Amino acid sequence: MSSMPDHPIKSIDIVNKGLNRRYRAEKRFRRIGLGAVVISITFLSLLFISIIGRGHGAVFQTHMLLEIHFDPEIFIGVEAGAADYARLVKQALHAQFPDAATRGEKRALYGIVSSGAAFQLRHMVMEDPGLIGKRQSIWVSADDDVDMLIKGNLSAESGRLSENQLAWIERLQAQARLKKKFNTAFFTAGDSREPEQAGILGAASGSFFTLLITLMLSFPIGVATAIYLEEFAPKNRWTDLIEVNINNLAAVPSIVFGLLGLAVFLNAFGLPRSAPLVGGLVLTLMTLPTIIIASRASLQSVPPSIRDAALGIGASKMQMILHHVLPLAMPGMLTGTIIGMARALGETAPLLMIGMVAFIVDIPGGFTDPASALPVQIYLWADSPERAFEERTAAATMTLLLFLIVMNGFAVVLRKRLERRW
Amino acid sequence: MISPSNTLIALVLLTALAHYLGLRRAVAAAGGHAHVQKLHSRPVYYGMLTAMWCALPALLIYAGWQAFESYIITQLVVADLPVTMRDLSAAQLSLVVNDIKNMAGGTIVSGDVGPELKAAVAHYLQLRGIGNAALAAVVMGVAVIGLVGARARISTRMRARNKMERLILWLLAACSTIAVFTTVGIVLSVLYEAIRFFQAVSVTEFLFGLKWSPQMAIRADQVGSSGAFGAVPVVLGTLLIAGIAMAVAVPIGLMAAIYMSEYAGSRFRAVAKPLMEILAGVPTVVYGFFAALVVAPFIRAAGQAIGLDVASESALAAGLVMGIMIIPFVSSLSDDMITAVPQSLRDGAYGLGATPSETIRQVVLPAALPGIVGGILLAVSRAIGETMIVVMAAGLTANLTANPFKAVTTVTVQIVTLLVGDQEFDSPKTLAAFALGLLLFVITLGLNIIALQVVRRYREQYE
Amino acid sequence: MFKKAMYLTVSLALLGFFATTPAAADAARDYVSIVGSSTVYPFATVVAEQFGKTTAFKTPKIESTGSGGGFQLFCTGVGVSYPDITNASRRMKKSECALCEKNGVQAVVEVKIGYDGIVMANTKKAKRLSLTRKALYLALAKKVPDPSGKEAWVENPYKTWKDIDAALPAKKIEVLGPPPTSGTRDAFVELVMENGAKSFGWIKAMDKKEFKNAAHTLREDGVYIEAGENDNLIVQKLEANPDALGIFGFSFLDQNTDKIQGAKIDGVAPSFDAIADGSYPVSRPLFFYVKKAHVGKIPGIAEYLKAFSSEKAWGPEGYLADKGLIPMPDAERKKTAADVANLNELPCDGLN
Repeated sequence: MSSMPDHPIKSIDIVNKGLNRRYRAEKRFRRIGLGAVVISITFLSLLFISIIGRGHGAVFQTHMLLEIHFDPEIFIGVEAGAADYARLVKQALHAQFPDAATRGEKRALYGIVSSGAAFQLRHMVMEDPGLIGKRQSIWVSADDDVDMLIKGNLSAESGRLSENQLAWIERLQAQARLKKKFNTAFFTAGDSREPEQAGILGAASGSFFTLLITLMLSFPIGVATAIYLEEFAPKNRWTDLIEVNINNLAAVPSIVFGLLGLAVFLNAFGLPRSAPLVGGLVLTLMTLPTIIIASRASLQSVPPSIRDAALGIGASKMQMILHHVLPLAMPGMLTGTIIGMARALGETAPLLMIGMVAFIVDIPGGFTDPASALPVQIYLWADSPERAFEERTAAATMTLLLFLIVMNGFAVVLRKRLERRW
Repeated sequence: MISPSNTLIALVLLTALAHYLGLRRAVAAAGGHAHVQKLHSRPVYYGMLTAMWCALPALLIYAGWQAFESYIITQLVVADLPVTMRDLSAAQLSLVVNDIKNMAGGTIVSGDVGPELKAAVAHYLQLRGIGNAALAAVVMGVAVIGLVGARARISTRMRARNKMERLILWLLAACSTIAVFTTVGIVLSVLYEAIRFFQAVSVTEFLFGLKWSPQMAIRADQVGSSGAFGAVPVVLGTLLIAGIAMAVAVPIGLMAAIYMSEYAGSRFRAVAKPLMEILAGVPTVVYGFFAALVVAPFIRAAGQAIGLDVASESALAAGLVMGIMIIPFVSSLSDDMITAVPQSLRDGAYGLGATPSETIRQVVLPAALPGIVGGILLAVSRAIGETMIVVMAAGLTANLTANPFKAVTTVTVQIVTLLVGDQEFDSPKTLAAFALGLLLFVITLGLNIIALQVVRRYREQYE
Repeated sequence: MFKKAMYLTVSLALLGFFATTPAAADAARDYVSIVGSSTVYPFATVVAEQFGKTTAFKTPKIESTGSGGGFQLFCTGVGVSYPDITNASRRMKKSECALCEKNGVQAVVEVKIGYDGIVMANTKKAKRLSLTRKALYLALAKKVPDPSGKEAWVENPYKTWKDIDAALPAKKIEVLGPPPTSGTRDAFVELVMENGAKSFGWIKAMDKKEFKNAAHTLREDGVYIEAGENDNLIVQKLEANPDALGIFGFSFLDQNTDKIQGAKIDGVAPSFDAIADGSYPVSRPLFFYVKKAHVGKIPGIAEYLKAFSSEKAWGPEGYLADKGLIPMPDAERKKTAADVANLNELPCDGLN
């Protein structure tokens, strides 16, 4: 083997010598890449598991069966809407548990039913006045503490429920008069301070109106700005200024946009407080930089050959851009828009300054009705002392994520139809 | 019924008609479909131009009317109110007008309704009816005039495409100025309060002070404790947390992007990419809870197990979770950039015998670098400006430290706590929030100017 | 085909957008608008909800802006675009009242609604602490009297509770509490720290300014951790850290009695009754303020006031007590209710 140096060293030998090492490096690199994807998706699943683990309980709500007698007496002399429905509930409870005698015991007894039960009865009578005078078995929702007890989130020793109440609950359970039923209120009601009556429809419609404005303004404006800056703007100080501005706006903390909204839209323009219209405008300004930057990047990535070809067959510059470059750049623009909209959907801080962090029971019906938004609702519920809001907070988060997934799914479909690779 | 929205719908329909008529006219001017090449522009441009003439002036009038209608009608109604009511202060008057509008809208009113008010309501409704009818007449009139005028001018030599394109160009340019207006708005809305703050605390103390402790008095009779407004620890805390976040997000995000664009099959990509984008959309409030309740206690326990003293609000916890949030920002944008590198470059490298990883490291990444740097910068901005995660997971105490196990505070945390607290709004404490906002704005502005220069120097155009 | 469908959707959406906005823009305000403290928020919202459900009026809109932000909005002027009521976890300040007057908000009605106890709690996994206000002062003040008994200040040397009082456990002092911007912090400092400082004769004898300076400055060496205003988060952090003590409102203790326990202060454990009869020493009043000029102009204000000041709401057995609001004594309640009914104005001069 000592004669090796006599042979001329061929380059293929050098290559072959290093080949194993290079293949190993190749495999390693590939594994690191896969690892990175796996890590991110693991984080995502961890997050989802922890949220769903806490929030799935809110899909069901404990109800109890009461024998309600729509006593005609309470309707005497008053309109059907103004009658004392709470008394009907109390009478029914009393008939069921005659052992509650003292004032304190009675209070405790009435405490195991949600105060929403009276409103439920009122609603029923308003729908069907013929009920007056009749007897009926009705499922009404239980108080939030009872609900938490049944779901195992509250220990019997906590002292939140008295000995008597625990005994009554046990008796109800033995008679099969206590059951977990689908929590319709959570999906059809507005905010409430009673966890068992609280729902997310109000916040969800607030978010919907807000995002609709944001999408309709920020997408066209963002794309238009990107086209102008990338394709038409002369390269001078003015465009430099705009460019630095846009990058900078992407970094401005969201709460500062709230300050801007307060000063400009509320104080200077006199738009109403707490309105999705203002929220949408503020979020538009916040989302614009993200969309512009992404759109510009994706315009840049369209190969010059496409442009040359379009110009070569006689298209004007505007035609070249609108008919050829723009469609090819669309997938990237949509990606940027999704990221921007996703951020807008989950944003709380700027809404704080324009009055959308608010308790709003009535479900907003338009762009100027007072409204809150889903992340704000989460923020507010997370700060509520009642135990039952904990799972509702998580459930509201689940809903928000669902919205997000739907949005993303829509974008994926769009992108799939448009994506091209060269 | 004539309402503004119905007028608008009618206008849209008319515009569509205008487009059709303009198109027809252009074809006719050319002498039929067979001869459209005689036209200067394609027929559709004539249609668009007619539609624009029909819609734009009418829309301007409509918008102007919407802006002033309420004011004018209110003034007219107020002028007809009895003297006793007219003499109320402007503020009181606005409440009376509110009552009138509520009544007109059929909603519930506050108190007893006098005959003057009833008359005023009737007057208001009448005026509004007249106003709506007038609006409809004027808008439709202008639209028809625009339509007819534009259509009459259509000829084979009319340069319709150039006109349309100039209009579009103006529109695009106008959109690009919105960013500038936003910045001006932000500066103005922050500057005034910031100046008031600097009247109480000197600029040098704010910029170079090493101690941040806004424990100033809440009430005038209280004595402030050590009220110190040195922003250095706050800014360094922000940079520490953002740095940790980037240390997590950049490697993971970039490698994920490389894997997805270069190695992953299209099916894997179709599933994984949207999944990762969801990470960006999880509300920051949720991340905040995750950081405060899951990650922070875990890090604390782990630290104690190996004998480290870890604060329950460590910078590490907030930074880690923020990093997770930012991964998709880095990966999504880098992915697009990498995908955009032309295949010919890769083919060239493969042709020379490079392995895929060598191609990526030595050819694709350098080519995509300016775009990737842009994406990372965007992510850095996001990290610095992020609010809710740090509000929940980072501390409020401003420690001057680079130790990631200690609690630090950030600019955004301070802004939020100062603004939503219970203290009154003219104290330096609250005003400090505006000064911090301004400072943050200036810092990011400086960073961006540098970044722009860097990216511009290294940017290359590939085919 | 696909493109056309997209254009069509976009234009329809735009059309719908422009068609609905102007119609709504002109609407007047027919609901009560309330802003202010996040501490009063959980109580005010209960009243608002009951009010909205049992009357023909719309449910008032309640924003949680902090007391300071609330006054800022409230005092900006009279008119539909300004709030009618602001909640506060402290009294209005003279400067705020002056701001109100300057902007034409001359007549303001003050309504005290009850008390909120401030509790110091730790997790049930650890032993219940029994503290004195003096011990708390020594544990949390930035500068404390020299432990050797000299009348001089030293930087707070105490690391464990045992260092302060041999009867206390040998555990690290770690207190999670509100930041200096919070009204809860303000009340805590006034009710606990000042009182603790007064137990030293020579500190008590100092002039007012120096005394406050000594009593109001909390430690900044990591023993007192400013933990933001989310009290649920503090409760959860306490569970994760058995050494820590948290400072927050009574209603959070009330809702989490299975997880945490309130420390005894001067021998009294925080309970509803102990706070109501005054034997538990740390509680502060809560308020809201009404713009008189809006009463009778914005529908529902007078009725909301009546609902709030009814026994059904703020009485000892009312629904606010269920939510953790400590009611005022009977006589005070009656007097306040009468004041509210007559809309007695608050003079600026009486304020600090």
